[in-house]
Amino acid sequence: MENSAAHTHGKAVISIRNLCKSFGDQVVLDNFNMEIYDGENLVLMGKSGSGKSVMIKCMVGLMEPDSGEVEILGKNMLELHHQEKDELRAEIGFLFQGSALYDSMTVQENLEFPLRRHKKKFKGGNTNEMVEEALESVGLAHTKSLMPAELSGGMQRRIALARALILKPKIILYDEPTTGLDPITAKEIILLMMDIQKKYKTSSLIITHDVDCARVISNRMILLLEGTNYAQGTFQELSTSKDPKIKAFFK
Amino acid sequence: MRNRNAQNIKLGIFVIAGITIFVLAVYFIGNRQNLFGDSIRIHSVFKNVSGLQTGNNVRFAGVNVGTVRDILILNDTSIVVEMLINEKTRRHIKKDTRATISSDGLVGSMVVNLVPGEEEGSSMINPGDTIESISKIATADMLTTLNTTNENAALLTADLLKITTAINDGEGTLGALIKDEGMATDIKKSIAGLRRTSEAAAVSVNRLNKILSSVNLEESLAGLILNDTSAAGEVSQIIADLGQSAEEMKLMTANLQEFSEEIKTGEGILNHIINDTTVVNHLDATLQNAEEASKKFDENMKALQHNILFRGYFRKLERRKAREGKNENNR
Amino acid sequence: MNHNYTATANVSSFFMEIGALSRFAGRFFKELFSWPFEFREFLKQCYQMGNKSLLLVGVTGFILGLVFTLQSRPTLLEFGAVSWMPSMISISIVREIGPVIIALICAGRIGSSIGAELGSMRVTEQIDAMEVSGTNPFKFLVVTRILAATLMLPVLILIGDLIALFGSALVEYVKGNVSFLLYFNEVFEAIKFSDLMPATIKSFFFGFAIGVVGCFKGYNSSKGTEGVGKASNSAVVFTSLLLFIIDFIAVFVSDIIYG
Repeated sequence: MENSAAHTHGKAVISIRNLCKSFGDQVVLDNFNMEIYDGENLVLMGKSGSGKSVMIKCMVGLMEPDSGEVEILGKNMLELHHQEKDELRAEIGFLFQGSALYDSMTVQENLEFPLRRHKKKFKGGNTNEMVEEALESVGLAHTKSLMPAELSGGMQRRIALARALILKPKIILYDEPTTGLDPITAKEIILLMMDIQKKYKTSSLIITHDVDCARVISNRMILLLEGTNYAQGTFQELSTSKDPKIKAFFK
Repeated sequence: MRNRNAQNIKLGIFVIAGITIFVLAVYFIGNRQNLFGDSIRIHSVFKNVSGLQTGNNVRFAGVNVGTVRDILILNDTSIVVEMLINEKTRRHIKKDTRATISSDGLVGSMVVNLVPGEEEGSSMINPGDTIESISKIATADMLTTLNTTNENAALLTADLLKITTAINDGEGTLGALIKDEGMATDIKKSIAGLRRTSEAAAVSVNRLNKILSSVNLEESLAGLILNDTSAAGEVSQIIADLGQSAEEMKLMTANLQEFSEEIKTGEGILNHIINDTTVVNHLDATLQNAEEASKKFDENMKALQHNILFRGYFRKLERRKAREGKNENNR
Repeated sequence: MNHNYTATANVSSFFMEIGALSRFAGRFFKELFSWPFEFREFLKQCYQMGNKSLLLVGVTGFILGLVFTLQSRPTLLEFGAVSWMPSMISISIVREIGPVIIALICAGRIGSSIGAELGSMRVTEQIDAMEVSGTNPFKFLVVTRILAATLMLPVLILIGDLIALFGSALVEYVKGNVSFLLYFNEVFEAIKFSDLMPATIKSFFFGFAIGVVGCFKGYNSSKGTEGVGKASNSAVVFTSLLLFIIDFIAVFVSDIIYG
């Protein structure tokens, strides 16, 4: 259904060129290239330990690649100063693998946290209203004063999503959004992600090894194998491929 | 938000409690060390400060009135001790006050004791004044004198003993006593000597007493006696005994004098001696008293020597004597 | 950059560990004096470390004073020196036993909780989440905690010392019929600035050591739940060792200064 948009490439919001990263002797990324276009849902699939998380961390500057370029919204992430990097990061929402909610803070404080440093972006904006709006968009307005530990895994993931949304980013990076969740909850999260994508018109990069998730959400897919961009195309194209290495992904 | 405010209040109470404890501790300690409040500086020069340290207490009549501020070595025999004295107690401290250094308890730190002077109408001490110090050498000198006295007394007692034995031995001696002028002279000499000795003993005992009472046992002897009150009591007992012995000796000397006068005048002596046994008894008793008194004196001296605290001193004396004896032998 | 630390810690060579720890401490000072300062988090940490440890420190201090006095009493009684009890107890508590015991207790209470908290935040990517939210996690988590520990420990130690002296005074009151007034009078007679000052300065360093090691171990903890346990455990072990080393240096230095 969304596939129609897939091939009408807009301009690239993120482009990664020749990214290399290794830990000691272990090469994780080897000349990796990728582009994410405006408004698309790109799914990056790979086995665990194949360097998906390393790649996404290099993108937002949590890790420094050995070589290569990361260009986000026309700016080279790796050459920015701290201040500029923070400003650019405000345009990127990040949903962490295990939700990564601050467990010493309430839900409200968790959502306020990104606002502390990026208030400039919303001059005169009421923090409280923004928190409520973000919570409503994930359907958990009543949990404002609860602690993350009091919430179920699915709810935590939604709060985390709300936190990633609160700065109204142009790009959202999802690091394994469905891991650790039961299939039904996972489905809910995927639907929520699609809702949000429509509502806020974001471009998304979804890292996953969950085939169901990839089928539902992806406009385009990239298969990460041995540190390189092994294959790309739509879910349809890749899942019917004859290549045994590609087939292995869809088993 | 309310929760956070409550936390901040509790934190505030906690921090203020800690700071208050610190400030109070600093204040109390500072108060003891006279770091705050008005105080004046006075000095005293000692030959030896016996391990006194900066910060030690200064006491006046047993009350803490200040602290030792600084200790400077002026030259090889004088060490200046600078003291900070509380302004409030200054008016009680007169210019003739003397300072001694003693130990505060058996294992305590050293303290400077300020001993009030005896002079009437002495004026109040002024900042920067130097007060006199009492050194322990005075006590040692006094003991030397006392010992000489004791030796003399022992010698004389031996003489007297000889005479007494002679008298007690019987007739022949009695005759000799009457006939022999020399013997009478001997007695007279002995008696004179005994009186001198006894007077000397009385003087030294008096001196000892005076120093001890004026300086107050606890204060002046303290360095030597380590403030041990039982030891101090013992010493003062010995001194009292010495005084009594000297007193007895004096009495006896008077008796002997009387007797020897009678011999000298020769008036009815023989009659007296022959007829009046009471005179003989009297003489006998007198001599016995003399012996006893002398013995007691000796005992007291020995007791003094055996007192651990004086032992070192007497040992030194003996050693010196032995050395002198050797020198004489060599000669 | 943080992963450099992780890699270094994995080498687990002692000197590398010390070097990394020193760099970590150096970074603390660098970040401490640069804008912004997370004041609210700092107050929160002060509350967590100070007020929340007070009960533990109080109980420990009280028992310490009580037991110490009860144990020394017979010996002093034998020497007939029971009147020396307040000065003996107070000097040993203020100078040495109070700061060291309370710092050790706090190493267990504060150091391990910092290690575990930061460790689990590292493992669950909360630290990364902070960084992408535009907050410097080192400033927010590490600087505030180290500073809070450095400032709270002297306060805890002072309060603990006082409570320990109360415990000791209670024993003397019950067993020796010594009034509290006389007891504390003798205490202040005995304690000098040269007892209180080095002990207080020392306790800042104790707090700093607890904070730095706890944060270092937690912040650089390895992935996985095992890493959290290891971070909190090694924080306590290493801090305890460091406390004694600092104590030794402190005694050495104050001995030189105060003779």
